[in-house]
Amino acid sequence: MVDLNTISPKNGRNYYIALGLEGSANKLGIGIVKHPIKSQLSSGDNSHQCDAQILSNIRDTYITPPGEGFLPRDTARHHRNWCVRLIKKALKEAGFNDPSNDIDVICFTKGPGMGAPLHSVAIIARTCSLLWDIPLVGVNHCIGHIEMGREITKAENPVVLYVSGGNTQVIAYSENRYRIFGETLDVAIGNCLDRFARTLKIPNHPSPGYNIEQLALKCQNKDKLIELPYTVKGMDLSMSGILAYIDSLAKDLFRGNKQNKLLFDKKTGKQKVTIEDLCYSLQENLFAMLIEITERAMAHVNSSTVLIVGGVGCNVRLQEMMAVMCHDRANGKVFATDDRFCIDNGAMIAQAGLLQFRMGDIVKDLKETIVTQKFRTDEVFVSWREK
Amino acid sequence: MSSPYAVYSSPQIPQKTFEVDPQNPRYQTTNGKTTGPSDYVLNAGQIDRDKPSDPKMDPSNSEVPTYLSKLRMELTGVQDDINEFLTKQMEVAKNKRVKVDTPKQKAKELNEFGEEEIEEDEAY
Repeated sequence: MVDLNTISPKNGRNYYIALGLEGSANKLGIGIVKHPIKSQLSSGDNSHQCDAQILSNIRDTYITPPGEGFLPRDTARHHRNWCVRLIKKALKEAGFNDPSNDIDVICFTKGPGMGAPLHSVAIIARTCSLLWDIPLVGVNHCIGHIEMGREITKAENPVVLYVSGGNTQVIAYSENRYRIFGETLDVAIGNCLDRFARTLKIPNHPSPGYNIEQLALKCQNKDKLIELPYTVKGMDLSMSGILAYIDSLAKDLFRGNKQNKLLFDKKTGKQKVTIEDLCYSLQENLFAMLIEITERAMAHVNSSTVLIVGGVGCNVRLQEMMAVMCHDRANGKVFATDDRFCIDNGAMIAQAGLLQFRMGDIVKDLKETIVTQKFRTDEVFVSWREK
Repeated sequence: MSSPYAVYSSPQIPQKTFEVDPQNPRYQTTNGKTTGPSDYVLNAGQIDRDKPSDPKMDPSNSEVPTYLSKLRMELTGVQDDINEFLTKQMEVAKNKRVKVDTPKQKAKELNEFGEEEIEEDEAY
């Protein structure tokens, strides 16, 4: 039986406060989450109904010039130099001025992600923990996304599609683990979109994927899809070949390579395809693959609901396509969140970390706070849910 | 108030201590020589908006930095010392490897390359 109320909050309060620190990629997120004590959480499978309040959720993104990705060293430097400012701002926003009394637990991302940025944030977490004498909880980044999505949307037991810059996974819960049913065999979908954005040299602000989405909206030839490789392997998928192919198309377009008959008219040499068309076709193709593997997972676990999490999850077109598929299945429903909770943030780490904390799972030795670049979703024992 | 220091040791170097020299300007700034943005991103046109903040001065005496600011500046200098030392050590290691990598050695390594791979696989 799951009892989320065994650990008492600090100072006899009737609520818990968690500070969440996230920095596994180019976003530094600081979030503060409050859980009231609820009698319904003493038993049953109610971890998606914590009545969580987001007291603050601040994010600062390390943005590079168009055509450039983010390097570990410079991203880590961004996190190191911004963390104190952001933590101060978050505490102020939440109305706290005595952290060692106000906060029950500090949650940080233990992995997966880029080593150097993860390491920077772990140092911040250890420092705050020692400074304020507050216990630490190391959180799996993917679990953070899932638990935030469940809490916000109240989806009880959905199939989860986790799509971001570093991950592409179809996940379903079974026997205390979030099990990976399908995933990418090479690059993540967000990475595929980001790298195409670099080829196009479009801005990385607010995010490369968002700018591709906007370009795709401007496509004038939506009835004429450009044929791209479609590489679904069972419940897995592969995207590196698609990226290489569409990159070559874009380069031919920029060079004005008239030999390419797909892009230029054979006789007149007139350009047939625009950058907007390429963006549209890339999105349609990649998202169709995602929908297919998600539907297959839904059929396997006999589920009718999908929760989309991760940075790519705020793409409206992906949500639309998923809704069409779910509508075709009986009583299907899509749950998704907006950019505040989809894109990496501190509140999601606080949410998942607080669930761990309430189940008594805290760091007992600083050795346990060593970060790890590889940390699969199904490695985490999900103690806060019923079998 | 004592200053921070760091100790390095390895089989070749039993002990090397990095200490703060309060007179040296290296330990009087929050902008380190080795902790700036990488040249690569600067060449790509990056504008550095992630600089560390300047030291805060004591409200009662604008000549003296606050305790934490002084610590930050001293750590920036020590970090520079460590980074430069480790970069030098990497160069030393690289030069050693060049010497060891004679053609004969390389041929031997190439021959054993496949065998090593199999061994690794078995370990899993």
